[in-house]
Amino acid sequence: MPEKPLLEIDRLAIGFDTPRGAIVPVRGVSMSIFPGQTMAVVGESGCGKSVTALSILGLVPRPPGRVLGGRILLEGQDLLGYSEKQMQRVRGRRIAMIFQEPMTSLNPVYTIGEQIAEAVALHQEVGRAKAYEVAEEALRDVGIADPHRRLFEYPHQMSGGMRQRVMIAMALSCRPQLLIADEPTTALDVTIQAQILELLQRLQRQRGMAILLITHDLGVVAENADVVAVMYAGRVVECATVEQLFEHPRHPYTRGLLRSVPRLGSAAGRLETIEGTVPNPGNFPAGCAFHPRCPDMKGDRVCATVDPTLRQVGQNHWSACHHADGYAEAPESTPRIGHLRTVPMDWVTDGTETPAAKEPKA
Amino acid sequence: MSNIVTERLLSRGADLPGPKHLRPRGFVALVMGRAMVRWSARIGAIWILLVAFCAIFAPFLANSAPFILKSEGKLSFPLFGSLHPIDLILPVGAMVGTILLIRRRIGFSSSLALLLWACALTGAAACWPSSADYLQQMSSLVGPAGGMGLLIGFWILLAAIVILFPLLIPRKAILITGGCLLPLLIWLLIFPVRPPKTIVYEQYRDLARAGNIQFALYAPLPFSPSDRLRDLGDASFLSPSRIHPMGTEYAGADVCSRMIHACRIALAIGLISTGIARLIGVLVGGMMGYFAGKTDIFGMRLIEIFEAIPTLFLLITFVAFYGRNLYAMMVIIGITGWTSTARFIRAEFLKLRKQDFVQAAIASGLPLRRVLFGHMLPNGITPVLVTTSFGIAAAILYESTLSFLGLGLIDQPSWGQMLNQARGVGASFIWWIAIYPGLAIFLTVLAYNLIGEALRDAIDPHLNR
Repeated sequence: MPEKPLLEIDRLAIGFDTPRGAIVPVRGVSMSIFPGQTMAVVGESGCGKSVTALSILGLVPRPPGRVLGGRILLEGQDLLGYSEKQMQRVRGRRIAMIFQEPMTSLNPVYTIGEQIAEAVALHQEVGRAKAYEVAEEALRDVGIADPHRRLFEYPHQMSGGMRQRVMIAMALSCRPQLLIADEPTTALDVTIQAQILELLQRLQRQRGMAILLITHDLGVVAENADVVAVMYAGRVVECATVEQLFEHPRHPYTRGLLRSVPRLGSAAGRLETIEGTVPNPGNFPAGCAFHPRCPDMKGDRVCATVDPTLRQVGQNHWSACHHADGYAEAPESTPRIGHLRTVPMDWVTDGTETPAAKEPKA
Repeated sequence: MSNIVTERLLSRGADLPGPKHLRPRGFVALVMGRAMVRWSARIGAIWILLVAFCAIFAPFLANSAPFILKSEGKLSFPLFGSLHPIDLILPVGAMVGTILLIRRRIGFSSSLALLLWACALTGAAACWPSSADYLQQMSSLVGPAGGMGLLIGFWILLAAIVILFPLLIPRKAILITGGCLLPLLIWLLIFPVRPPKTIVYEQYRDLARAGNIQFALYAPLPFSPSDRLRDLGDASFLSPSRIHPMGTEYAGADVCSRMIHACRIALAIGLISTGIARLIGVLVGGMMGYFAGKTDIFGMRLIEIFEAIPTLFLLITFVAFYGRNLYAMMVIIGITGWTSTARFIRAEFLKLRKQDFVQAAIASGLPLRRVLFGHMLPNGITPVLVTTSFGIAAAILYESTLSFLGLGLIDQPSWGQMLNQARGVGASFIWWIAIYPGLAIFLTVLAYNLIGEALRDAIDPHLNR
């Protein structure tokens, strides 16, 4: 078990100034990722997971975005204190990112090879011919047939799955320690989804890099993640190993999420949902942000007045619920789950019936 | 392996497998190709190419001095001797540029370096003999020390280009281009280019009249633009004839020759002033669009201030106070004409900066300069292509207007100035001096507008099916 986390986010808060006043979509997110680990961040739209990911790379637009507090430690170094020049040396070289929409993530005016080689030439300080060789190797690694010919093709000549492979090749060409994958398969056909996720797993095993996987697909989480952080209303509300989380969820929101996933062979006619909607980042409810929707604890005074913090409630298990067992005794802490991978048993889905899966694009 | 990749890199997909029409093309090339399908755009392009041809080869097309002169047993090359360095640099640059465009064997930046290198080489060989004269001219303007400094600076710059650029260019291209230029360079060493301070056009006609010419080869139109024929009797305001296809003006100079030489100013003023405008526009608009917020608000006010300046009156005022100067004119048209470009680029960049591929470019650690001008600009430049072609047309009209008002250049012919001269003695109307330059201005402006319109339709997404 590796002892030092690769990346540690400590009570990160990010606000946006809008014409109608400031909103705070991320308010005290804490998590940590160890080398070689896959950390999944799940949550509904607008819970702050993408903003958190962007802030790791310093990509939150400023203004209107503003870091209100907290630290982002990459191997003990606070990235929030880095200058733009220093950040450029982190981006692509130590932390890479792939985006949700492969159709628009590649620049239409350059060939594939040009785009990969540009980053390679920049980060590895090699000549252009050598950079093209590295690019070709990277394309071969992500399973693109005839990579030499593909180097000289434009993005519009490729399908969505191919482009996402190219994006992965581009992100991994400089051998980063951490890959941030912001819903990498949401826009893809389900059969392609599985291929891309398998590819990511294979490359992760080969290179020992960590992956921060942002998704709202619990099937994807169960199959790929080692550790899961559940986010709600700008907070991590529960963080545990994937087995712990799926078998013994200790936060009512997580339980609600798990109940609303369709299962093969279940007799129920209608899918369960969580009542109510995600609160607007402009005005989170007082106390626990989830309490107006919480099915278990309606009417509890503590829930409505005291904002719960993330506390260790079990081995490798953190929760931010007043009613989780062991919550009252534990102090607030940043979840640290150094974890070796095992395959979870019964949460393997085929990923076809995910709530937010989009229609595959032609 | 490395060699193959390098070759592919340099060839830009020129020898990729598959049929030719399936090869990938860049977006700008695609738009240009789509625009040129139209016959109106083609006619416009042909006219512009014709004007460009006249501008580049003007001294070889219309010149009083013969190419080859054999007089009293002596062979001489008076036309070459009377050339300015620019008269040689332009044709060499045009030929190298055309070859690079047609046979795209090397990449864009290497091509540009090769072009500059060839021009600098020719310029160095051509400037050498007349640099003493330039030193004298400069000394009268900025003092002897300043003149010397300018000259030394100029030569250091030229030497740097000639020595350094070959490092950027594939060796094969250097050898071929250098080999082609070698005869010209040797020729220039034997017959140096040194324009005489006073040109006596009459000398060749005197020789001819005295029967002293055994052999002479003249340019297609054997009259220089400033070759006034007054000494031959009354040659002013001759109507078009076989000798003077477009007649003569009041001082007896050939109108056709002046038309040909005026192409240079017409093209230069359009290209340079619009170039300045686009450069400022892209820089300011790019900053506004990328940074948005306060930068955008400040930039918008700046644009509004510049849009309030009436260009024509500023030009007239400038000429009234500081005298006639073509380059000052270009700069003034440039720094007042960038606002539309800035607006276009701003709008494009505001849209582009939210795009995933720009986020991806930043996330891969590219510096801001590369993100702005490498990834965003090529995607937002197409609307600017359209305004550029309209802008060039507008700049030509400004110069013509100014020249027509009598505030343009005196010593060099320009179309607008010729229009002004169509008013003969006692306000009579000399049709051939009015028609031909007027037609040239009209056709050039029309041609740029036709190309601009075709480009606008080519980038229209509604036609993009």
